[in-house]
Amino acid sequence: MAYIEINRLKKYFNVSGGTLHAVDDISLSIESGETLGVVGESGCGKSTLGKTILRLTEPTSGEVLVDGKNICAIPYKKFKEMRTEMQMIYQDPFSSLDPRKTVMQLISEPLKIHKLYKNKVEMQQYVESLMQIVGIDFRFAHAYPHEMDGGRRQRVGIARALALNPKFIVCDEPVSALDVSIQAQVLNLLQDLQQERHLTYMFITHDMSVVKHISTNICVMYLGKVVELSPSKDLFQNTIHPYSKALLSAIPEPSLHNRRERRLISGEITSPIDPKECCRFAPRCPYASEECFTSSPALTEISNKHFVACHKAKEFI
Amino acid sequence: MNEGHILEVKNLTVHYETVDGIVEAVNDVSFAVNHGETFGLVGETGAGKTTTALSVMGLLPVPPSHVIGGEIYLDGENVLEMQKEQLRSIRGGKVSMIFQDPMTALNPVIRVGEQIKEVILLHNKVSKAEAEMMAMDMLETVGIPKSRYKDYPFEFSGGMKQRVVIAIALACHPELLIADEPTTALDVTIQAQVLDLMRNLKKTFNTAMIIITHDFGIIADICEKCAVMYAGEIVEIGTVQHIFDHPLHPYTVGLFNSIPKLSEDVERLIPIPGLVADPTDLPPYCSFHDRCSRACSQCESGNPPLKEIEPGHFVRCFFAEAEA
Repeated sequence: MAYIEINRLKKYFNVSGGTLHAVDDISLSIESGETLGVVGESGCGKSTLGKTILRLTEPTSGEVLVDGKNICAIPYKKFKEMRTEMQMIYQDPFSSLDPRKTVMQLISEPLKIHKLYKNKVEMQQYVESLMQIVGIDFRFAHAYPHEMDGGRRQRVGIARALALNPKFIVCDEPVSALDVSIQAQVLNLLQDLQQERHLTYMFITHDMSVVKHISTNICVMYLGKVVELSPSKDLFQNTIHPYSKALLSAIPEPSLHNRRERRLISGEITSPIDPKECCRFAPRCPYASEECFTSSPALTEISNKHFVACHKAKEFI
Repeated sequence: MNEGHILEVKNLTVHYETVDGIVEAVNDVSFAVNHGETFGLVGETGAGKTTTALSVMGLLPVPPSHVIGGEIYLDGENVLEMQKEQLRSIRGGKVSMIFQDPMTALNPVIRVGEQIKEVILLHNKVSKAEAEMMAMDMLETVGIPKSRYKDYPFEFSGGMKQRVVIAIALACHPELLIADEPTTALDVTIQAQVLDLMRNLKKTFNTAMIIITHDFGIIADICEKCAVMYAGEIVEIGTVQHIFDHPLHPYTVGLFNSIPKLSEDVERLIPIPGLVADPTDLPPYCSFHDRCSRACSQCESGNPPLKEIEPGHFVRCFFAEAEA
């Protein structure tokens, strides 16, 4: 059985213009020790999906099963105990750390909340060991976030997430705010930690090359829906959904050779407020036909573990 | 001064005075851009890319910044010696700039058409009605229907706003366009559209461009020449073929190794160890020294010169020749 399993998860927000469908009827699962990469452009609902899975925001409907237990049905007080198992690493290491707390205070905060240490010395030792694991020199223990660069700050964010010994971590764009040379250091750290601690990741990003590098399975989202879900290798070898294809071809590859053919898609993302019952990509899709504007395609298995939500998927294989 | 150059920067050095000391933002930077050429400036945060660009525009805030030395020739005239009035007449006319964030580059309370008209009126002797026509044409050129002339910036998406910014920058057909991270704030599919637009406009107007970016993908996509900056210095400069197919500086090589690529499978990335050198405390020798795998005692003996290794390919490393 999969470690994380979500069934028909929905998260709607009431906004002034109507109902915003941020996460719309998503079902997927993540095996223990694996990484699910979630890609999509801004506003596709990937961060909301991450937060809803951690129950940082209550889902509108649907269920999230962690190790077989539906966490949405657990009373909140009891759920707090389960929090230790599930943590999050945030995108922006500049705004996700309290500017008035030192590194020591920041990393020990989750330990204090969950009362996980006996005395101060023990806590200090534990924080020191965490700092060592994530690669921050101990001389920074009493530094404030503003005294550190982005890479180090992100390492503090990772140490905070690791403090409670979680099994599952949602990484929400953990390297987008970092320079490439530092990005590689943090990606390697996340991979090492996964192997040592058998962590399960959900890795949210807009960067296709990062997601390819780190994921076991990849889920491509567009306007609250999963359009393609597949093992990482398969997705890049047999991209089927027109949106995934467009997303891939839009990435400028840092090489002068084997340049991919560009398939520019025209237009921009449409509104997620009260969407019509149709394929949400249809207005931008070069292959859209009448059917695409009248009915919403279901996510169906095209080949082994490769799911696509497109009426014309068979034609694209 | 070479006839073919629209821009020539010679030994530019810019410092910032801050409470933490003097930030050596740009150190002895020299490069030239030919008419109609696209030149890329690539590097990480704090490498001095934007400071270099702002110096060319005469937009450096003084204080805290001080041009310590160097010359910047724009079409034969030294920008650094120009008076305010003269600078104002070339900005938006001969040279213009696109900033990173289209959300803050536009005035939120002025209709977008008026913002394009404003720059046209400033640099051309035309009537208001003519300027309005020209502004509408410019909107169409960047792919926005004329009918949106009277819309306000908040009514546009990020990609559309960046198109408006491009329209303003190109409205007076500048000979040089500086684009500072023009697509960083945009989604990839929109980025592809904007890059495509810039490529086409460059052909139409034969504008020389300087693209500032941290993304080697964009350089490969659109540039002909490129300079890699590190800690305020150009460490490698050449054609894109030189930089991509035959990188010689350990920093350039390190950057390529640390980017995950779509076309290759690597188990583990090879990051550049350590952190960017502190610009308030740069060593008197090679500033990449303590992150470099090739470093030896010679590297601590002094700053290596930018040496021509093959025609047009310059590298600032003692080992570049041996490596080549």
